[in-house]
Amino acid sequence: MARMKFLCDAQRCIECNACVTACKNENEVPWGVNRRRVVTINDGSPGERSMSVACMHCSDAPCAAVCPVDCFYTTDDGVVLHDKDICIGCGYCFYACPFGAPQFPKSEAFGSRGKMDKCTFCGGGPEADNSPEEYAKYGSNRLAEGKLPLCAEMCATRSLIAGDGDTVSEIFRERVTWRGASGLTWGWGVAYGKKGIRRGHDVEGKATGGD
Amino acid sequence: MAAHKKTGARHHRIIVWSLLSLVGLTLLLPLIPYAVAYVNPETGGVPNPGADLWRAVREADVGTTQVQGVDTGVLINANGERWRHFRMNQLIPIGAMLMGSVLALIVLFYLVRGPLRIQGGPSGKKIQRFSVFERITHWFTVSLFWLLALTGLILLYGRFVLIPVLGPEGFGLTASACKEAHNLFGPMFLVAILMMFVTFVKDNIYARGDLNWLLKGGGMLGGGHVSAGRFNAGEKIWFWIAVLGGLVLSASGLVLDFAVFGQGRAVMEISHVLHGIAALVVITVSFGHVYLGTAGVEGTIGSMTNGYVDEAWAKTHHDRWYAEVKAAAGKTEEAGSVGGGATASSVVSPVRDG
Amino acid sequence: MKLVKKQDTDASSVRAALLGGTVDRRTFLKRSGITAGGIAAAGTLSMSMMKKAAATERTATDEGNPAQIRTICTHCSVGCGIYAEVENGVWTGQEPAFDHPFNRGAHCAKGASVREHGHGERRLKYPTKLVNGKWTKVSWEQAINEIGDQMLSIREQSGPDSVYWLGSAKHNNEQAYLFSKFAALAGTNNMDHQARICHSTTVAGVANTWGYGAMTNSYNDIHNSQAILIIGGNPAEAHPVSLQHLFRATERNKAPLIVIDPRFTRTAAHANQYMRIRPGTDVPVVWGMLWHIFENGWEDKEFIRQRVYGMDEIRAEVAKWTPDEVERVSGVPEETIKRAAQTMAEHRPGTLIWCMGGTQHTVGNNNTRAYCIFQLALGNMGVSGGGTNIFRGHDNVQGATDFGVLSHTLPGYYGLSEGAWKHWAKVWDVDYEWLSSQFDQGSYEESKGKPARPMNTKGIPVSRWIDGVLEDKANIAQKDNVRAMVFWGHAPNSQTRGTQMKEAMEKLDLMVIIDPYPTASAVMQDRTDGVYLLPAATQFETYGSVTASNRSLQWRDQVIDPLFESLPDHTIMFKFAKKLGFADELCKNIQVTNDEPLIEDITREFNKGMWTIGYTGQSPERLKEHQQNWHTFDYTTLEAKGGPANGDAYGLPWPCWGTAEMRHPGSPNLYDTSKPVAKGGLNFRARFGVERDGVNLLAEGSWSKGAEIKDGYPEFTADILKKLGWWDDLSDAEKALADGKNWKTDLSGGIQRVAIKHGCAPFGNAKARAVVWTFPDQVPIHREPLYTSRRDLVEKYPTYADRKNFYRLPTRYESIQEKDYTGDYPLIMTSGRLVEYEGGGDETRSNPWLAELQQHMFAEINIVDANNNNIKDGQQMWLEGPEGGRIKIMAKVTQEGVAPGVVWMPFHFAGHFEGKDLRDKYPKGSDPYVLGEAANTAMTYGYDSVTQMQETKCSLCRITPA
Repeated sequence: MARMKFLCDAQRCIECNACVTACKNENEVPWGVNRRRVVTINDGSPGERSMSVACMHCSDAPCAAVCPVDCFYTTDDGVVLHDKDICIGCGYCFYACPFGAPQFPKSEAFGSRGKMDKCTFCGGGPEADNSPEEYAKYGSNRLAEGKLPLCAEMCATRSLIAGDGDTVSEIFRERVTWRGASGLTWGWGVAYGKKGIRRGHDVEGKATGGD
Repeated sequence: MAAHKKTGARHHRIIVWSLLSLVGLTLLLPLIPYAVAYVNPETGGVPNPGADLWRAVREADVGTTQVQGVDTGVLINANGERWRHFRMNQLIPIGAMLMGSVLALIVLFYLVRGPLRIQGGPSGKKIQRFSVFERITHWFTVSLFWLLALTGLILLYGRFVLIPVLGPEGFGLTASACKEAHNLFGPMFLVAILMMFVTFVKDNIYARGDLNWLLKGGGMLGGGHVSAGRFNAGEKIWFWIAVLGGLVLSASGLVLDFAVFGQGRAVMEISHVLHGIAALVVITVSFGHVYLGTAGVEGTIGSMTNGYVDEAWAKTHHDRWYAEVKAAAGKTEEAGSVGGGATASSVVSPVRDG
Repeated sequence: MKLVKKQDTDASSVRAALLGGTVDRRTFLKRSGITAGGIAAAGTLSMSMMKKAAATERTATDEGNPAQIRTICTHCSVGCGIYAEVENGVWTGQEPAFDHPFNRGAHCAKGASVREHGHGERRLKYPTKLVNGKWTKVSWEQAINEIGDQMLSIREQSGPDSVYWLGSAKHNNEQAYLFSKFAALAGTNNMDHQARICHSTTVAGVANTWGYGAMTNSYNDIHNSQAILIIGGNPAEAHPVSLQHLFRATERNKAPLIVIDPRFTRTAAHANQYMRIRPGTDVPVVWGMLWHIFENGWEDKEFIRQRVYGMDEIRAEVAKWTPDEVERVSGVPEETIKRAAQTMAEHRPGTLIWCMGGTQHTVGNNNTRAYCIFQLALGNMGVSGGGTNIFRGHDNVQGATDFGVLSHTLPGYYGLSEGAWKHWAKVWDVDYEWLSSQFDQGSYEESKGKPARPMNTKGIPVSRWIDGVLEDKANIAQKDNVRAMVFWGHAPNSQTRGTQMKEAMEKLDLMVIIDPYPTASAVMQDRTDGVYLLPAATQFETYGSVTASNRSLQWRDQVIDPLFESLPDHTIMFKFAKKLGFADELCKNIQVTNDEPLIEDITREFNKGMWTIGYTGQSPERLKEHQQNWHTFDYTTLEAKGGPANGDAYGLPWPCWGTAEMRHPGSPNLYDTSKPVAKGGLNFRARFGVERDGVNLLAEGSWSKGAEIKDGYPEFTADILKKLGWWDDLSDAEKALADGKNWKTDLSGGIQRVAIKHGCAPFGNAKARAVVWTFPDQVPIHREPLYTSRRDLVEKYPTYADRKNFYRLPTRYESIQEKDYTGDYPLIMTSGRLVEYEGGGDETRSNPWLAELQQHMFAEINIVDANNNNIKDGQQMWLEGPEGGRIKIMAKVTQEGVAPGVVWMPFHFAGHFEGKDLRDKYPKGSDPYVLGEAANTAMTYGYDSVTQMQETKCSLCRITPA
């Protein structure tokens, strides 16, 4: 069974924000909600590195664990999705998420946030695939069309890779072989301090694909 | 003797250092191939920038990003996992155990001991214990408290208890209503708590005899009668738990409820931890209060319904208060004799009336 | 993504919805399923990664497949391919073009958001004019009539040169060419576009070194580089997709990446070596590296002997730039310079990339020539993996430059001589005498001691139009001041001296802004009338060819109909030509339907005349063939492997010699002698004569593969063909046209065909020249900027003397430099780009997907300067330039981004002016989402000594808390 994964190669990310706007384009995400963002560490200093980050579709997703209404579900592809009809906009997923992925359309008094919105791996939601209702709530469902998330497909330097964990690993392994040096990757394993960052060739897809 | 001591200290040091070295090596060894792999022919022996990078990331150094919003510069929210652990592995199970065991103990106690009776049975003569204002304050707080406690508990436990009953959509609606109610009424609880405090603080200050009351377990330990004023030490503790817990709940609740000041996740998580702990403590203790105010002690319920208790009840549980009321009543004899038809106008009360 | 309009919404209601601008797009869009496309499979991501390859069944078969339209991103010169999905006239999806040879589906933030053009909510919606300070809707007819009448009356009073036609790098090739022709028929050389202010010094410097002023290789060819040196460029933000090619070299070839820049940029973050220089010290740094190369004998001696003229004079200049002097002037430590020089010497071929950081200086032409000489010394020219990879800016700035939307040349760099005019008059099929009569018949300057006519003198460059308005009439070499300005796709905030520009705008009789967006021109002045805003269509609303930085021509298909009441630029040109009375001449051989000239006919017309740079083989049919077969072109060589275009280089990069029938494959790498000319090989151009002071200028012992003349040779003429005995290789028809002509003016293409048949380059085979004896500085030397921070260096490295007449205008140098401003203005002011925005930013700041990511104009300042001036990060501050322009902006305090004493600003913002928010002045609903101060409001005077390029990279300023 495929397990969909994102991987960001920090050696290549140039903070061009293509992934961010590609997401807006594909899903018509409104101003103020950013399902993906690029974070730069050590901005303007030697050692500067950027990484594109969004929902990493964790195997043991903290958002799903803490959700008081249990609105999350994981698809057969390992994509973590949620049901906006059930979501109550409590914000717990945002507290628990290591990546700051959950977004809320507003932030008003009396805890009014609106329904949570996050990266769907361009996989839509519980409604019928590619239905108008699904698009209105969750944006595009590229997976159902046999396509991958647009952010990764449009990445300027192919830093952001998406797809089945094994294939992502393969691509990255090949790249690191060319490079002959370490890879700086950004993946699920990193956030949890698991294996996957110590050695360049030990990539994230492998680190997280198995469990 | 001294030499012996020195050797012991040295042994101790050797063991500590050995352990530290082992731990250090375990941590460092896996990094070696990584470091070696990074020695790029072009960069020469430049230290691996990756190591610094990931250290920075793991230590949640704030980076920069073009996306506006709360904490957007943070790559990894390291507290998230801790908070998840707290909520899912500590708050929820420990809270459930705490509340469950206290409830069970109360039931057990009731079954074994039954309610506390008034010594010598009710006298039939009534004495006012709480004024109208006091009762309004109490019930106002009680309503809010249970509204918030129930909605809060539903949000905390509903996923496990109610989803099987209501189904996900049904529970979604319920939870949504609970969340809205909790968020809307939450701020009012601060008002209630402050009213409670102002109203009752005077009689809840530590007084002589409270320690003794506590040592004797309110009369349940060692037998014999324990003397108490208007409120006994147990009630005073409840008062302070309720007030302080209520303030913590209100303060943390306001932080959570008004996330419009750009407070980050760390602040929200800490607030949630405080809110959860305080809520469970207050709720658990409130079980005891409710028990003692209703089924647990004969004749108590009247004090908060019509405001009156039996004189015998007063003598039994609050002898010093009873004495004070009587003494005050003696001074204001013109108000008429105590007892008989308990009308408000004929009541002698040491407390200000509403 | 599959979005379609609801079935019950017909096209007219969509139009109505868009015109109204109030209907949420989602209310008339809905989704439908479609079987999985195989697009991803063709790209870098394999099919195995895709999950449900079989995907869902169609849910709405009756709605049909969305049309997939092949177009090209309109933002930068990389030329990324795009699949636009359109359903019932609505642009519903944007899919990555994994098969496109340049970008393989990749985009930057701007490219990934081009579908927003289908919304266009902040566009200009209809023609508008300013009446008593209020924007008032007018019809196209009324607008053209009123504007035309005023122009004719200005022409009557002040001559044709008083109307200035400011063109655009956003026009496609056909429109750029038509614009150039339009201005010529209008009788003026006062026509220019953004190339003047981006790479004019590159074009001049590079063309004068070896023949053509363009990127010599390609983005893709960087795959073959063994080293990459970037100076004055930040491609990670300005050309992000190019980094995909750079990383290929750094990863697969282990090519070291060296970045030279005053600012630690996003590009520098990925460099192996970073060299921080003081702005304006490019020549010292390049000479500093060459010093080590010469000192150690690392130069390619054989290459220099065969193919370079004048290197000894360079050696003499370079010898002055000892490591300590370089460090004293540029601030770069001796060791750093040496290491970079050694790296470049040890890793060959290496490529050199530069951008605006090198070009936008008073010594811009010296900088660009120094870069070229550096590459010549290392023998990195004419080889795959080497070259000067000059990244152009706008999507079609290369094309617009080639088509002479410039005040100093006709299309194809023919210049302004009588011969050039006669050549084009013949191509246009108009009478030369009539054409000549369209121009001002007076004379205001001399050329070679004789009075020169305005037809043959360079017009006022765009960088100086404000002086054309403000300067005393007596000092301008034309009949009268500029009185009407037509801003046809131009952002004024990309130009310096904002405060004086405002003054100039207010002095004009007439301002016409033709653009999809109102631009800052509409609001930065305080006029109450005499301003017209005419909505132009974007390039997604028309079609045609566009030239990428690597000289490849790509065909764009039309994605959607023009939104609102906008019209394509060439239609507007025709309407104006009709009004001004030369429509027949403009489109004599071009079919016109409903005032719209046929694009393909325009392509065919320029194919007939652009012999100099080989824009002759790229017929519309060939370009469309390439467009439909993106997948057949190789990702590294750009050569088609099989398919209908087999053997062609993608987009037929110019020069694509001869006629289309000759099927020349284009020249992917210029001056590459390893290939025959017929296969895209070349040698350096014989452009500067055959000898100078008795020294041979032709190549010695070097020729392109298969050349029958195995040595240097001059450019081909009919006479030379006859001498060589090749004349009879021409057909009779060719002979008739070619007799008495040369390779540039023979309209039959026969001379080119025959030269190539014999393996020779039509333009001859000469040496590159390291000494440009026609330029003010024959050998590139260092000169301190006008507003220098280093007074101690002015005596040794002074600027030029003031000039009385330079592009019709007096131009100041030393009279500015002699005054010391460093007391009041202690900080160096420089500028650059952000990835989210482009150029003046009106288009990108109106795109919410991009605007959200950059909401505030800011300046990057070092923590030392921040503390010294009591400014904190994120705080508002005033920045003031030495000419008094002041802007209120946010401080971005950095540890090492810029050095202490340097302030860096992005230049994309506009809509605030000296602290005032001008949002209310925009026509309703056309204000960009994000406004901010224009950096150039504070930027100062300073122009290149050859091209009048503006100085934006090195001035002075002071900062105070606001």
